[in-house]
Amino acid sequence: MGITTDFPAELITKYGLAGPRYTSYPTALQFHEGFDAQAYRRHIQSSNDDLIPRPLSLYVHLPFCKELCYYCACNKKVTRNSQRAEDYLKHLDKEIEMQGALFDRDRQVIQLHFGGGTPTYYDDMQLKHVVETLSANFLLSRSANREFSIEIDPRTVNKERIAYLADIGFNRVSMGIQDFDRSVQKAVNRVQDEGKTLDLIDAARKSGFNSVSVDLIYGLPLQTAKSFENTIDSVLTARPDRLSVYNYAHLPHLFPAQRMITTEDVPAPEVRLQLLASTINKLKEAGYIYIGMDHFALPDDELSIAMGDGTLQRNFQGYSTCRETDLVGMGVSAIGKVGNSFVQNRKDIRDWQAALDADKLPVWRGLGLSGEDRLRRGVISAIMCQGSVNFSEFERKHSIDFADHFALELKSLKPLQDDGLIELSEQNLEVTPTGLLLLRIIAMKFDEYLINDKQGKAYSKVI
Amino acid sequence: MSSDIKKKPYFPERAQVACSQCTLGNLCLPRSLDAHATEQFEHIVNKSRPIQPGEHIFRAGDKFQSIAAVRAGCFKSYVIDKNGEEQVLGFYLPGEIIGFDAIHEKTHKANVVALDTSSVCGLSFDSVTEMARQLPDLQDELFRVMSLHISELEASAADLSAEERIARLLCSLSSRFASRGYSAKEFNLSMSRRDIASNLRLATETISRVLARFQSAGIIRVNRKKVAILESEKLRDLARRDTC
Repeated sequence: MGITTDFPAELITKYGLAGPRYTSYPTALQFHEGFDAQAYRRHIQSSNDDLIPRPLSLYVHLPFCKELCYYCACNKKVTRNSQRAEDYLKHLDKEIEMQGALFDRDRQVIQLHFGGGTPTYYDDMQLKHVVETLSANFLLSRSANREFSIEIDPRTVNKERIAYLADIGFNRVSMGIQDFDRSVQKAVNRVQDEGKTLDLIDAARKSGFNSVSVDLIYGLPLQTAKSFENTIDSVLTARPDRLSVYNYAHLPHLFPAQRMITTEDVPAPEVRLQLLASTINKLKEAGYIYIGMDHFALPDDELSIAMGDGTLQRNFQGYSTCRETDLVGMGVSAIGKVGNSFVQNRKDIRDWQAALDADKLPVWRGLGLSGEDRLRRGVISAIMCQGSVNFSEFERKHSIDFADHFALELKSLKPLQDDGLIELSEQNLEVTPTGLLLLRIIAMKFDEYLINDKQGKAYSKVI
Repeated sequence: MSSDIKKKPYFPERAQVACSQCTLGNLCLPRSLDAHATEQFEHIVNKSRPIQPGEHIFRAGDKFQSIAAVRAGCFKSYVIDKNGEEQVLGFYLPGEIIGFDAIHEKTHKANVVALDTSSVCGLSFDSVTEMARQLPDLQDELFRVMSLHISELEASAADLSAEERIARLLCSLSSRFASRGYSAKEFNLSMSRRDIASNLRLATETISRVLARFQSAGIIRVNRKKVAILESEKLRDLARRDTC
């Protein structure tokens, strides 16, 4: 896969539909409350029973923020009341103990991610305590290859804190930058100093973090092609290993925080296209590889290497190189993936705490995957991660005739083929360099739930 | 057959059983009987309803009345040791007979539980004994099956490494599946790694570690509970067995 030099502005405008990001398939919209704690336990038991159980990934959700960023669509809680945050940690301890007890102790944790909210809302001692609780209840890998990452809000840390995070076991860091332009920062209520942020990236490298990832957002209010180019130029001076450049989806009817943003300030579709095009060109010039969706990486980064050898995987944080793991989600609203199931915790902090107070797993909903779901998950993952679907592979694995089973889907791909997004042969679907920018549009054709139910309103705009 | 039976009978009605039509005919007790004797034998067979995973057909301490021939699915037999730990004694596949351990004391020694949706043919042991007196072929078959059991148990008591034990189990399952008309190269295991570990007297993590080693050596491929044997000769070598 590689990005086309001619930016397909027309096609992106044409296909600028709403679409899911496919960090999971089926998407969370299909989760239902019929899947309860008991179902979750059953799937865990069955995963422990595997002849060679998968290693584990842990996701810990720390939802508190000191201030509200207006663009945010995450599940977070803005508070300066440290008592609430402390109380949350006590409950988190309990959940870690309860979940840890369900997984066989010989299953190594090779991936760990602290996400938010703002994980660094908590102080050093508190974060250390969470890591220690995890370590007491799960078998954390000691290998240098383990991927233990934490999301950092540069406004909440200094060089000493960065070094401390490395000391307690983190070796990957993801920094939220979004935009360095001061007027944009003010418009989204996230003012952070450019020089200080860049110094922190440098400090992370010196502290031994072996991967630094940076998040940017395009489509924010008041952004112009020029201002965003400046941000990118500045970020590139620090040469992060990975860059995620997300598209801001302005959906104030769904996310109340976004009502603080003046809709007129949000760049028009043409401007967004320009922002995307110039971002891609700049990153390409700087030697970054386009991984897919919103993600870019340096050529020697594991993500780029995994893309080359076909081992790339999609996960809730974007892309990953890990061999398949079972994911344990802990904290409010956290999503897990165990065996052939997804599970999600209660999304309201009070409900989540109440369940734990009653000694119950705080499961809200989930989904057990059918054989059809698993087949389609495989196809969608092949599109999103390899940019290519080999039909015979699926025929062998799922005992189907691909052309027959997906007759309607293949027919619906015809316009995409005519527009040069994909190439279709008897045995293969190949995403073209042009199609790479519209992966979701291609994947959506295989989403059984979208085919059966044409509701696209809740999804973020592809562009 | 057991206390569970009172809640929901295993044999809801006297179903017509036709051993002569059964696909397990060449594995099960009547395999050496002629047509007439097979017909006689059919009269003492009770076909069970589907037995759900986790449902027991025998409990340790149950009074011995019947033996059971597995028709479909898979069972494991186990005892609870004095520390309260479960110890798995063996696994039973279709065509195999469960319950011979209960003959001498007229009491079941082991708990027997279904690992998959399964079914059995129940055979009153009095009737089997009675019939064996009249049909020497049946008696021979009973001796043969019991002897097979004993020889397998003795072989497994040998001083074997973890690799040998696991390779032997895979070999044994492979040939048992093959003689039941399933693939010898690719099969789904109904038992968990914990069951296998308990049965082979190994630590649970040893099972995974050894299987992972076999896998990286290209001998097998494992996906969840499915095993594909890629190099059966190498597996036989590891098991120190001539056949697999």
